[in-house]
Amino acid sequence: MRIWGISKRNLKEIYRDPVLVAFLLGMPIAFMLVFCAAFGGQHVNPTSISIADEDQSLTSSAFIDCIENVPAFKLNEIYTEESQARNDIENGKIPFYLLIPAGFEEANQAQKPISLELAYKKADPMIGQLVKPMVEAATLMFLGISPPINIDLKGTEVEIKNETINFLIPGVIVFGLMVLIFTAASRIAADREDGFLARMLTTPARPWDFILGYSLPLILVLIVSTLIYLGIGITMGLSIIGNIGLAFLIFFLTGLCSIGIGMIVGTLVKSESQSAISWVIIVPLSMISGALMSADGMPTGLKNFANALPFMHAVDASRNVISGCATFSTVLPDLYYLIGWTVVLFTAGIILFRRRMAS
Amino acid sequence: MNAVKTSKLVKEFNGLVAVNGIDLEIKKGELFSLLGPNGAGKTTTINMLCCLLKPTSGTASILGHDIIKNPFKVKDLIGVSPQDTILSKHLNCWENLSLMGEIHRLESKELKKKSEELLETMGLTERARDQVSKFSGGMRRRLSIAMALVHDPEVVFLDEPTLGLDPQARRAVWEYIAELKGKKTILLTTHYMEEADCLSDRIGIIDEGKIVALGTSEELKRNHLDSQSLIISAENFGTKVIENLRGKYSVVEKINGGLKISHKDLDFKEVIDYLYSQGVNIYSAASEQPTLENVFIQITGKRLRD
Ligand SMILES: Nc1ncnc2c1ncn2[C@@H]1O[C@H](COP(=O)(O)OP(=O)(O)OP(=O)(O)O)[C@@H](O)[C@H]1O
Ligand SMILES: [Mg+2]
Repeated sequence: MRIWGISKRNLKEIYRDPVLVAFLLGMPIAFMLVFCAAFGGQHVNPTSISIADEDQSLTSSAFIDCIENVPAFKLNEIYTEESQARNDIENGKIPFYLLIPAGFEEANQAQKPISLELAYKKADPMIGQLVKPMVEAATLMFLGISPPINIDLKGTEVEIKNETINFLIPGVIVFGLMVLIFTAASRIAADREDGFLARMLTTPARPWDFILGYSLPLILVLIVSTLIYLGIGITMGLSIIGNIGLAFLIFFLTGLCSIGIGMIVGTLVKSESQSAISWVIIVPLSMISGALMSADGMPTGLKNFANALPFMHAVDASRNVISGCATFSTVLPDLYYLIGWTVVLFTAGIILFRRRMAS
Repeated sequence: MNAVKTSKLVKEFNGLVAVNGIDLEIKKGELFSLLGPNGAGKTTTINMLCCLLKPTSGTASILGHDIIKNPFKVKDLIGVSPQDTILSKHLNCWENLSLMGEIHRLESKELKKKSEELLETMGLTERARDQVSKFSGGMRRRLSIAMALVHDPEVVFLDEPTLGLDPQARRAVWEYIAELKGKKTILLTTHYMEEADCLSDRIGIIDEGKIVALGTSEELKRNHLDSQSLIISAENFGTKVIENLRGKYSVVEKINGGLKISHKDLDFKEVIDYLYSQGVNIYSAASEQPTLENVFIQITGKRLRD
């Protein structure tokens, strides 16, 4: 079998190259550790909140009690005057505070609209973005209107140890698998650069022998790195509620799409250094797919675009499956997307390779 | 049927004409050498014949199969040893040879036998299980040649096969090629005139993309060398003798311990008689055999190519 012969060679070229092995195994490990260390802790350390209570009423202190009971908040300073709080922000002692203005109790009793103020340093607008929904939720709770809860999530809320981790890790895994675009492209490009591919092109091997011969060893890399990702993820506190096999299948198909794109890039570029162009695909694609941050706020056009590509489906489906909000039948459309893309990408790769063969 | 036949083969690289209308016919079992200065278009010609490059115009066929219409059939029949040594670096000798064998769908028994034979010929048996990234340049070169031959191709292209080999290895390769003579069709390029001279059935000299001379080594020497040389080891000749000789013959050089005289249709007896008559002591005199190198320089000139 020609494919087998070429695959064996490519696999040996990978595992006998210590630098490459270090990259292929080290990268997923480093990724997971860095991401989880940077973002995974948010849930563990509740946001510490300071409050300036200018109302000084029973209602306002009850509200403060209520906030104290929100697990995401830890009460920091309570001021009676807003000016003290503002002073502390300027001195860098606190990052933000919530102002309960005078007339809070009155407005509440009169069922009038209540206005609260969230003051934060201009230089750090993210804090405002982050805290606002939490405060809103707490306020609604206090005022007796229950905050909207996602019914789907209800049963799982108790089981998920760390929601941030469960949100982040599937995305990080998809991003890590997208790096296979680069790995795949650079394998072909390196062989083109040192003339090995040209030598192979004087043999009767066909385009698909090459494309599959390069892909099979990378599929092994894909499987191993997905296992590493999941292993580290679980160690870092990832709670896998849904079917782990299904999650693995989603990641596997994601990796296949990446390898397919990498084959195309590798076929088009001329040298190993040019295969760095893969990052121009990986980075924007991972952003619009919501792998590393939520893509909910994106403009509709961009969202539709991302939705047409495979990776957003991979991110959403894997998140939902891991957190137990989706079953095989609910992610089936996403699976079709990933399978369809895999077929399209590999076919395109073979056609392009054939074209470039006779130049 | 010819093993290799090209008709008006042309290759242009963005305006640079590398191969300029080559017509060649190489018979089955023939060993044909392509000689030519750097940049003459030898490698480009071979690359077109092994379906790596598409000709700009013209075409060629290998054992009757057109290189443009039927490239995979052609690739089944050929073995190529490229000018640059190209191997899979993290594989050992066996694995490199197996790769080529498997791609050509060789049976494993056949592959083993052929690999053993080639490794023995190339003197690599002892290092057969070492990764080739640890090999010396010449060892890699030998393996690279073996990779072109392991699947027993009908038509073999050897682009400067002995480049960078030590004299022992070069002789071993020559012997192996000589053994293949008559059984395989071989197209060889080389810058070692001695190699072309002793191995080839026919030689083509190519310059600036065109075949400028074609024939057996003898034919080339006969047709293209218009002067003969005599090397005389002698003593006791004065400047006057040399001056007289210079008046008569086109080249008269004083060399260590004697003279070298070249002229068209040089009459050896006339020279010797003249020297005797001038009282020169002659120890020996020999006609210099014309070499292929003389022919090559004669045809392609002394100018360096860019
Ligand atoms: N890929 C290419 N792109 C552009 N020009 C090329 C390419 N390959 C070869 N050439 C040009 O074609 C000409 C012929 O090159 P070729 O390699 O065939 O020479 P050669 O006879 O094999 O020389 P050498 O003895 O140095 O190996 C040269 O002028 C070279 O610069
Ligand atoms: Mg050359």
